[in-house]
Amino acid sequence: MSAGIVDIATAKPGQIIDNDHFASIGLTDEWIRRRSGIASRSWLPEETPLAEVAAEACAPIVTRMEDPSSIGALVVVSTSVQQRVPGIAQKVAQLIGLGPSVLAFDMNAACCGFVYGLVTGLSLCEAGQARSVLVCSVEAMSRLVDRTDRQTAPIFADGSAAVLLQDRPEFAGFCQVAGCDGSQEALMRETGAGGIHLDGMQVYDRAVRRMSESAQYLFDHGPAPTVMVGHQANGRILDQVSAFAGHLGVPFVNRIENSGNTSSATIPLAFAEELDAGSLPAQGRLGAVAYGAGEAWGGVSVDYRVPAVAAF
Amino acid sequence: MSDIESRIADTMLAKLRERDASLGPDDLGRPVADLDLDSLDLVELHQQLEQELQVKGDLRETAGFAFLDEFSTYFVKLASRG
Repeated sequence: MSAGIVDIATAKPGQIIDNDHFASIGLTDEWIRRRSGIASRSWLPEETPLAEVAAEACAPIVTRMEDPSSIGALVVVSTSVQQRVPGIAQKVAQLIGLGPSVLAFDMNAACCGFVYGLVTGLSLCEAGQARSVLVCSVEAMSRLVDRTDRQTAPIFADGSAAVLLQDRPEFAGFCQVAGCDGSQEALMRETGAGGIHLDGMQVYDRAVRRMSESAQYLFDHGPAPTVMVGHQANGRILDQVSAFAGHLGVPFVNRIENSGNTSSATIPLAFAEELDAGSLPAQGRLGAVAYGAGEAWGGVSVDYRVPAVAAF
Repeated sequence: MSDIESRIADTMLAKLRERDASLGPDDLGRPVADLDLDSLDLVELHQQLEQELQVKGDLRETAGFAFLDEFSTYFVKLASRG
């Protein structure tokens, strides 16, 4: 049993916020671009429920399926969902018309969430517990940040993306690596006053090392990825990890310029946008690496074969 | 100047010239605040010096350096420990 990605879709329904928006807190377009590589990002309206955004990302995939009843599990990954009880996975399942026998649950591993969700979904598929699994990341990071904080406000963004996982005879097995260090929790955390504290220098240093190490692991174990997508945290981090991926001989996706950092959603959003742009073949092997609050890090390599024309 | 000091100076100068190609060895003595370096540049410099000298530094120490000379002193000491 070897599972892989067989479809992907995205949703970025918010308002486009360009760098000029931050002039009110003393930041210029040049300053933001130099430190983050970001030119614009999408922010959701305050009143938009995240479950609806997740459903918007998942719906095209369900529509394209011959047998949606084969979806046995739905993993909704989010670090910015503000409602604790109930979680949103059950609502998303209802909105996209899944039956009552679906194993639907929320997952939070901050910016590493998609990698962890993907590993979980692939494991369910390969164990025969579900014929199809949907993994959806949905984030409204604009609701977590202090919008007057010069360090974090221009970085974070909102959006959603989902992948469908299925077992296919032509797929090689997935490979994963993961780790965590709770002693580093202070590097990135919510502040009591509303907002996110970010130790920028430490996070930059550790993110580059962890994501590069994870990428190396994926190349040393299992079939080599044909494309690498790293958590789109910051353009400068991506440049560093990209240089490392270049050493490994594969393209490294950087779509941060007009997306920003959507936490757990960055990897599937960037992957989908690159596929949509025709920059990647419709089949190959994805290597995804991430680093985030916790601290948590990890990577997964997985075969993919997605529809040639998918409604991104 | 020792071989280690020379390699450190070359690495620092290369980093400075990423921002301003006209800078030269004399600029290595200037305060960090006077150079067009941001905080992430200093992390990159730290990483590049680690790689050049094959040593492991502590970013919590170098993050507070106000002069590039301090990077040189710090990494010479690290490299000398072997």
